[in-house]
Amino acid sequence: MAEPRESHRWKWLLCAPALTILVLAASGPLLIVLVYSFLTPGNMGGVIWEFSTEGWFRVFFRRDIFDPADVSLNTAHLTILWRSVWLSLQTTVICAVLGFPTAWFIATRPANTRTVWLFLITIPFWTNLLIRTFAIQELIRNSGTINTLLIWAGVIDAPIQMLFSEFAILLGMAYVFLPLMVLPLYAAMDKLDFRLVEAGYDLYASRLQVLRHVILPLVKPGFIAGSILVFIPSIGAYVTPRVLGGGRTLMLGNLIDLQFGQGRNWPLGAALAITLLVIVVAALLFYLRTLNREEGPRHG
Amino acid sequence: MKDTRNSPEIEIAGLSKVFGAGASAFTALSDIDLTIAQGEFFTLLGPSGCGKTTLLRVIAGFEQPSDGSLRINAQEVAGKGPNARPVNTVFQNYALFPHMSVAQNIGFGLKMLGRARSEIDATVDEMLALVQMAHLADRKPAEISGGQQQRVALARALAPRPRVLLLDEPLSALDLKLRKGMQSELKRLQGETGITFVFVTHDQEEALTMSDRIAVMSEGRILQTGTPHEIYHRPRERFVADFIGDTNFLEVEVAEADGAAAQVKLPGGALHSARLPGGLRPGAGARVTVVIRPEQAQLVAPGQGVLAATVEKSVFFGTDTHVHLHLEGGAPFILRRQNTGAMPEPDPGSAVGLALAEGALQVVGD
Repeated sequence: MAEPRESHRWKWLLCAPALTILVLAASGPLLIVLVYSFLTPGNMGGVIWEFSTEGWFRVFFRRDIFDPADVSLNTAHLTILWRSVWLSLQTTVICAVLGFPTAWFIATRPANTRTVWLFLITIPFWTNLLIRTFAIQELIRNSGTINTLLIWAGVIDAPIQMLFSEFAILLGMAYVFLPLMVLPLYAAMDKLDFRLVEAGYDLYASRLQVLRHVILPLVKPGFIAGSILVFIPSIGAYVTPRVLGGGRTLMLGNLIDLQFGQGRNWPLGAALAITLLVIVVAALLFYLRTLNREEGPRHG
Repeated sequence: MKDTRNSPEIEIAGLSKVFGAGASAFTALSDIDLTIAQGEFFTLLGPSGCGKTTLLRVIAGFEQPSDGSLRINAQEVAGKGPNARPVNTVFQNYALFPHMSVAQNIGFGLKMLGRARSEIDATVDEMLALVQMAHLADRKPAEISGGQQQRVALARALAPRPRVLLLDEPLSALDLKLRKGMQSELKRLQGETGITFVFVTHDQEEALTMSDRIAVMSEGRILQTGTPHEIYHRPRERFVADFIGDTNFLEVEVAEADGAAAQVKLPGGALHSARLPGGLRPGAGARVTVVIRPEQAQLVAPGQGVLAATVEKSVFFGTDTHVHLHLEGGAPFILRRQNTGAMPEPDPGSAVGLALAEGALQVVGD
């Protein structure tokens, strides 16, 4: 009896390599970023080991160049922050609206063709993100495919400015992140018992009522997983706003990059990165809380 | 109540259902004619794959018939969806909504019909009481037992007061004791609500004990429709006799036939009267199959009775004993007798005679 218990006690050691990597790779860099956000920026980038809250201060406020005591809200940062959240929310909604019928279509195919459709969904992942983003640029720029076709067809006289706008960023992000919504939604629908749909129809529900009262509540876990998978990378997106927003329409990822590059203000960059993390965690907690509260009362 | 009872609730004429097309087409139902009366407990009985569930799904509206007409309460419903028919279903696996409480499940149909909240609440409470589930109203389906889920499924289907309740093998997932309880529960509910029940089962005993009438199905056709008594004692076809209860089949020769009755020559030469099913009129000298139920033969002394046989073995079942015999000429025969304690069990290998009750023989078609 003593022997198996003895070996049980040391079993966790088998996890040790994985745990080590997790701790070092996840919390290590995060800790460094946190520490850097409370240091003083070096003149040529990097940090000077001197405690300062200036980095955090500048996330939200700015000082007048000539009179450092003159403090005002940093509206540029707040605009970028708000834009990041707003664009990510829109991306999530667009992906959900497009992803639901797509996933439903796949889930209702005969079992042997479903794998083919899933395979097709994953094809974009085979090509580098940067190249796919440049391909979108080619589509929507002023002398790009869409504008050329529309002018040729006589629908418009002058090209529509689509590139370097929030629309372009939204289009790019929805395109890139759509599979991340479709796949968890499909997984949820695959588990759906279609007899419940029949039961709904049998109990006088219309198609829309079956969707609302039976299907949507049952695939909710898929929506939750998909929304998280789309929202988190959206809010930190870097490549898409850089290429399609053209440096004019910044998102948080670009702002952080700027501080570590041209801005040479590492503590501010680090503070912004932590701010992004806090926003993501807060949004997640809020989202899950509201979803749990929705569990209705008796006859709801 | 009495005057509406015989007016038809469901009228099916020339109905067929074909799945697929071309070479892979499969005929699930062919040329079904059936009338079910208002307030009837009607059972579709048959082995798996006979089309009984497909017929139920066609009545429910989950499948549309390929051909023929289907009227419910004198309204043609072929082509209408399940949400446009005054019919509710109790599904085999119950299909309760897992994200809703017991009470929400029961109230779902009324909610979809747009009834007032107060009416829904009142009906849900009434249904909960009817199936004795009031104490579990706020539980989720996953938190109650199979038997309780069954009651909720029943209450959910009854709550909108449908004209017809369809039950798709609702008792097959329950263990024997629960099943017996639910059988009488179903009969009680049907009596209290006056709703027409269409019940699908492959269990012949369930069908015999519960139904007003039974339709026996095989390979997409209805072979015979009748009361349990008619189905058991007057089977028209070999399949029906074989499917319902234990049966002895004997090949005999018709000595003379007259209308619905015939004299047949049994193995060993004795003559006995046999009933003929409607439509079957064999001439003298024809070979036919007769059915003898095991409880309609009696053991008598060797040389007496109309058949001679040898005892093979006796199997004790508590209330009765099955005596396995070989008839003169080798055909197997099973005889059932009640264990009243009066008679000793016959020894294996001993010779006996068999007496048959008057009306024991029924000629069947093949």
